[in-house]
Amino acid sequence: MIVSIARKEFVDAWRDGRFRWGAAIILVLLGVAMLLAWQQVERGREERVAAAALERNNWLNQGEKNSHSAGHYGVYVFKPIAPLSVFDRGLEPFVGTTVFLEAHRQNQASFLPAQDATAVRRFGELTAAAGLQLLAPLLIVLLTFGALAGERERGTLRQLLSLGVRPRDLVLGKAIGLGLAILTLLLPIAVIGAVALAKLPGSDVAGSWTRFAWLGGAYALYLLAVLGVCLTVSTLAPTARTALAILLACWAANAVLAPRLVSDVVQRLLPTPKLADFETQMREDVKKGLDGHNPNERMREFQRKTLEKHGVSHVNELPFNFRGLLMLESERMANEVYDHHFGELWNLLETQDRAVTWSGVVAPLLGLRSASMALAGTDFVHHRHFSVAAEQHRREFVKVLNEHTMYSKSHSAGRELWEKLPAFSYKAPGTDFALSTASPGLIVLCLWVLGSWTALLVAAPRLKPN
Amino acid sequence: MLDSDPDSVFHFYGTPAQRGSQWGRGRPIDRGRFIQVADPGLKKRRPLVYPRPLNFRHRFADETPMLETVNLTKNFSSHTAVDKLSLKVEPGEIFALLGPNGAGKTTTINLLLGFLTPDDGEALVNGASVKANPIAARRQLAYIPEQVMLYPRFSGMENLDYFSKLGGRKHTRKELLGLLEGVGLQAEPADRRVSTYSKGMRQKVGIALALATEARALLLDEPTSGLDPAASHEFSQLLRKLADDGVAILMATHDLFRAEEDASRVGILIDGKLTGDYARNEIKDVDLEQLYLKHLRA
Repeated sequence: MIVSIARKEFVDAWRDGRFRWGAAIILVLLGVAMLLAWQQVERGREERVAAAALERNNWLNQGEKNSHSAGHYGVYVFKPIAPLSVFDRGLEPFVGTTVFLEAHRQNQASFLPAQDATAVRRFGELTAAAGLQLLAPLLIVLLTFGALAGERERGTLRQLLSLGVRPRDLVLGKAIGLGLAILTLLLPIAVIGAVALAKLPGSDVAGSWTRFAWLGGAYALYLLAVLGVCLTVSTLAPTARTALAILLACWAANAVLAPRLVSDVVQRLLPTPKLADFETQMREDVKKGLDGHNPNERMREFQRKTLEKHGVSHVNELPFNFRGLLMLESERMANEVYDHHFGELWNLLETQDRAVTWSGVVAPLLGLRSASMALAGTDFVHHRHFSVAAEQHRREFVKVLNEHTMYSKSHSAGRELWEKLPAFSYKAPGTDFALSTASPGLIVLCLWVLGSWTALLVAAPRLKPN
Repeated sequence: MLDSDPDSVFHFYGTPAQRGSQWGRGRPIDRGRFIQVADPGLKKRRPLVYPRPLNFRHRFADETPMLETVNLTKNFSSHTAVDKLSLKVEPGEIFALLGPNGAGKTTTINLLLGFLTPDDGEALVNGASVKANPIAARRQLAYIPEQVMLYPRFSGMENLDYFSKLGGRKHTRKELLGLLEGVGLQAEPADRRVSTYSKGMRQKVGIALALATEARALLLDEPTSGLDPAASHEFSQLLRKLADDGVAILMATHDLFRAEEDASRVGILIDGKLTGDYARNEIKDVDLEQLYLKHLRA
């Protein structure tokens, strides 16, 4: 019986012109969004590879100079574009793509894609993820609001129940049939996504298939939860019009209201410092350490202890260049300050993200967004992973230069030293890392599926004709 | 051999195995007490899609009624819609329930379908309480409302196929076509979407559904309301055919003419109370309209 109901619902959905048109529009929008994103990602990847090669060339050919001056000359490193940003760009437009690595300073990533965007960007960016997060639920609402309330209104529910159909079988059959209708709409989107991913060059693409499958699972959970909610409302609402009004209100609350409200509340409860305050405080704390350039009392104390340790009375008697050691110690102390400040800031941002994700228990979109960005590798945790790797590279790079200053007879260095410093190579974290980051979002979605389908099964026996 | 015995009912309806393959797809079909009856009078071989023996209403008048209400009462707030209603509809009987708007006719049908729970008394289908097991009760019923509601994006054939499957019966396309033709819908309209159907055509699909689900009782709620006289006449003929096949029919109606023509018994329901219950022979020489108005004024 359930199979018969499911088959009828599936056929009925596809015979419904509204569904066919809606599906076609969504398919075209998401297809175009993915195609454009694919072009953007491919161009971005080419640009970054070219820029990294140019930067390496500049570094190697900077000529003879003081090794510490080379530290101030610095290098730019570029954040690789995650292959799955074809699907979900996440925070990528709002976090920097480039980090300038130099002596003494830990810089934040700069050159935000959003800064370079045209005014049209203010209207929001259409990505496949946004389409599935916002438009697919709307299509489900339009497909299901009358699934049971409409049957009641038209009188077919009376006809069905008079045949001895169990309400629970009816509801389950409808859920399966409508779910399959939606699945057949999503399959072409998954195929387009897979083709787009397969066409991207680069070795990191190979590792993205598992993440892609998990992304599919996360969206399936989300749409399943939406389907459960829609059918529950349609079961309980007295009329199809009431069901539609309730479901549209739920859609607006989930898609528009909750993301803004929750992020505002979270920002109030867990406020982040202003950028100017953050940098001023960090500068103040760095100043309290050693300054490699300008003498101060702390430097004199460090010099005294160094001379005492080596049993000499003047820095010229040391077996190394004291200035190099001073630089190394100054970097070590500054790094502690950076670790403290950036660590606190990043932990706070992650706490905010977690709070937003767990708020998904009231609006599933929040859980899905978090899981989607994490699985696509475009969330803050992935950005932090890159920033830490870039900072590690900076520290190694500065250390090599300072050690050269410390032990080299000549302060001047050339290509031989520059070549000793490897080009920055970043390997994005694997699927396990992404899954552990995405797990709160996935748990939220599972809770929604469980809750909405339990509600549907509880509501089903209350299904009565007019 | 049972199936070669001309006096055996199997001669006319096939062996249980044959019926199983035709109707029940291997499941046993409950034919109740009727199955063992051999009727030498039934000479004409009936198509297998008509499962019920003919003309046994008189023979089984003393058996359990197919539809029965015992002191059935339903209140809506302070209003009593059905008040201690007791009636019986035997197999093969057409019981016309007459009454003005709001008399409780539709409520009675809803109580028999188990869509409403009685405040007192009991509704029984084939002797079993509807309240105790509404699903089992509905499995024996077919319901035809004032306007049979079908799925507009499906053809009459597809609707019939779907509804009969939900009623627990699977039929081949040929069998369904036979049923639709039997009620006067030919192949061409049967394959058309029902959004193009007239009300009469929809009602015919409703009757075909009752045949397809092999319903033992039929509940009709103003079935001829809005039908033109020809369609109404055609519909009545189909009802009589069903009754001849042993189906118990309870028909709530305002149509005194049809009640007079078709009903084997007429009940008059005023303010939820059955104020009159007449056998056909009791009213054959009486003007039904006058009788009805007399009850209404009483």
